[in-house]
Amino acid sequence: MVQTKTRPKTPAPGGEALVRTPAGATRRRPQSRVVALTGASSFVGQNLLGLLEEDEYVERIVVIDVKPPPSAGKKTRFYEVDLTQPTAEARLSELFAAERVGTLVHLAFHGSPSHASAYAHELESVGTMHLLVAARQARISKLVMSSLTLLYGAHPSNPNFIAEQQALRATRREPFFRDKIEAEAEAARFGERSEGAVVTVLRTAPILGPTVKSFLTRYLSRRLVPTMMGFDPLLQFVHEVDAIAAFKLAVDRDVPGVFNIVGDGVLPLSTVIKLAGRVALPVPHPIAEPLTSLGWLAQLMPAPPTFLPYLRFLCVADGVRARDVMGFRPAYTTREALIDFVSAMRLRDVKLLEEA
Amino acid sequence: MENSKPKRRKPKPKASRAPKREPAVAAPEEIAREPTAARSSEARDRSDTLLEELEHRLDAIIGDHSLVEEPPPVPEPPFTPPPARAPTAPPPSSTLPSSTVPPPPDSSVFDTARDLLTTDFYLRRWGRMAMRNRSEDVDDFGYDPTYDKRVKPLFDFLYERYFRVECRGVSNVPSRGRCMLVANHSGTIPFDGPMLKTAVEHEHAGGRAVRWLAEDFVFHFPFLGSFESRIGAVRACQENAERLLRQEALVAVFPEGTKGIGKLFRDRYKLQRFGRGGFIRLALRTQTPVVPVAIVGAEETNPMLFRVESFSKLLGVPYVPVTPTFPLLGPLGLMPAPTKWKIVFGAPIDLGDYGPESENDEMLVSRLAETVRQSIQELLDAAVRERKSVLFG
Repeated sequence: MVQTKTRPKTPAPGGEALVRTPAGATRRRPQSRVVALTGASSFVGQNLLGLLEEDEYVERIVVIDVKPPPSAGKKTRFYEVDLTQPTAEARLSELFAAERVGTLVHLAFHGSPSHASAYAHELESVGTMHLLVAARQARISKLVMSSLTLLYGAHPSNPNFIAEQQALRATRREPFFRDKIEAEAEAARFGERSEGAVVTVLRTAPILGPTVKSFLTRYLSRRLVPTMMGFDPLLQFVHEVDAIAAFKLAVDRDVPGVFNIVGDGVLPLSTVIKLAGRVALPVPHPIAEPLTSLGWLAQLMPAPPTFLPYLRFLCVADGVRARDVMGFRPAYTTREALIDFVSAMRLRDVKLLEEA
Repeated sequence: MENSKPKRRKPKPKASRAPKREPAVAAPEEIAREPTAARSSEARDRSDTLLEELEHRLDAIIGDHSLVEEPPPVPEPPFTPPPARAPTAPPPSSTLPSSTVPPPPDSSVFDTARDLLTTDFYLRRWGRMAMRNRSEDVDDFGYDPTYDKRVKPLFDFLYERYFRVECRGVSNVPSRGRCMLVANHSGTIPFDGPMLKTAVEHEHAGGRAVRWLAEDFVFHFPFLGSFESRIGAVRACQENAERLLRQEALVAVFPEGTKGIGKLFRDRYKLQRFGRGGFIRLALRTQTPVVPVAIVGAEETNPMLFRVESFSKLLGVPYVPVTPTFPLLGPLGLMPAPTKWKIVFGAPIDLGDYGPESENDEMLVSRLAETVRQSIQELLDAAVRERKSVLFG
């Protein structure tokens, strides 16, 4: 972990440990040391599950998923629950009560845009609703949810660094964004209705690193990377290690609110492509949209045309709140995250060449 | 169970972690020296014989090619790795003159040709060339020092030879700490931001970098926006300006905005409305001194006779200018006229007496905005009055 936390080895009497946040406020940990986790097969989920297994403070990890998590250990208990089913609510609230879950970590979101948008909607928007209704019934006192800085949307009117208070203005035409914005609204409703609950939403910048795979890594792995002619927006990434550390930090500390989890610094798209050793293919933006929608339909493009504004305008978030309130300090800058990703990609390329 | 890879990766301390700081490859002579020194003599003998053998094979191959035009249909010799990569062979530079370095045994003219014919080769070349004018790191707002240095001669030429800028009162700009330059905005194509930056760079003792705030439409115009942000422009909004001032930067603002550059020739040197006084609220909030600046000469670079707003939306600009030359001579008509410029820096206006909370006092904000506007208008009027000729000053 990047951050060291002050925490007694054995919990204080009454099962409550004191945690000091950097703001100086001392908060009480929830009584239960059981963590429930959805989306344990996602990239962050897999790695967070491993970290929680190692953490001696965590007593048990309850994994709610449709398939067993690949990184499960001794402390993990797997329950096969499909969040999209209407019966999930009752099942989950029973389960939460029986396991005495204290913290719920909700990571069941697609990391890349999907062609199966109907299922994605059922899972992300409706599934979050089912999950949080059950959590409220079981009086779960803490929720950690993942979100994206992409939800701010790329607009010409964005400031260079977007703070957490700004509205989520990503286009509602795109189900990938719409479902996640709805899920955030569900989380906010959960925070309003359940008194005393700690709701932490982490909006991560696009994650890059040696092992992560997403639409972004597919975009940067192409030999010719399409860009918008005449536009060179500044981009921002967060390294996978930092993203995972941020979620662990949010589980450890009780910091209610929304936080942007971003790496320091920005890079222009053209420099990103050059550092990745790829060649930019500038496309005039009026013809890019029909081309991309064709490419997306033919499954040649990693993202639908609603992602094109991100190649023209800024969507960079300000991570100062996560630093000051949560105590999150990214170890990698945007540039270092990119270089780490690129060197891993090069190594894979070389190995493929040698095998051939 | 343990198949989550990055879990084990603890972020290492900064120095060892950053890939750029790691020595990528040891220097070639180090590689060359170390194995030969460590190796025993019999190993060296063995490698010598290996080299000789390779040389013979190479001679044979070259001989074959020079004797017969077409490659003989003899079976190819089994593939051996190139000697440079074989672990036992010492590097060729230690024993052989560099001119006779053996190429990999299976390489030929055809391989080189094939190499040159692949698109990959050119793509790689192009990719490597593309970074030569760009630095690998930019600041928070996309300012690229290498690129700026590259285009500096152009702006130096414009500043010294073309507009022959005369700069006065530059000592009013503090040499350190946050400061806001408030200037009039003019010229159909706004050259005043870059010229203000060049002026402070040239004339000011501290050589401070000016970050100027550009209108949205300039900033998001294809090519122009990315160019401007690389040389130091920042999109005009409160958040950006505040962030810059908190970094103790020297920020130039043009409160007239689009109304300033879009005014007709008959309205020249008449200051337009100063927005809603946002720059004063910003200065009060961040406790920044304000320096009024008058720029004379830019109004005549592209004198706008008419403003066509009917199909401007199609082009993404607020207006389409009609100048004596513009639609007439095509894009060439947008070349600025070589007028004589004058940049006058006024005395700084200190807002420190008011306190950061006074930004909510609307009466005070509009009064201060008007004060600043008046002082710029006075500077402008004085400079225009003493000017005898538009082209020669």
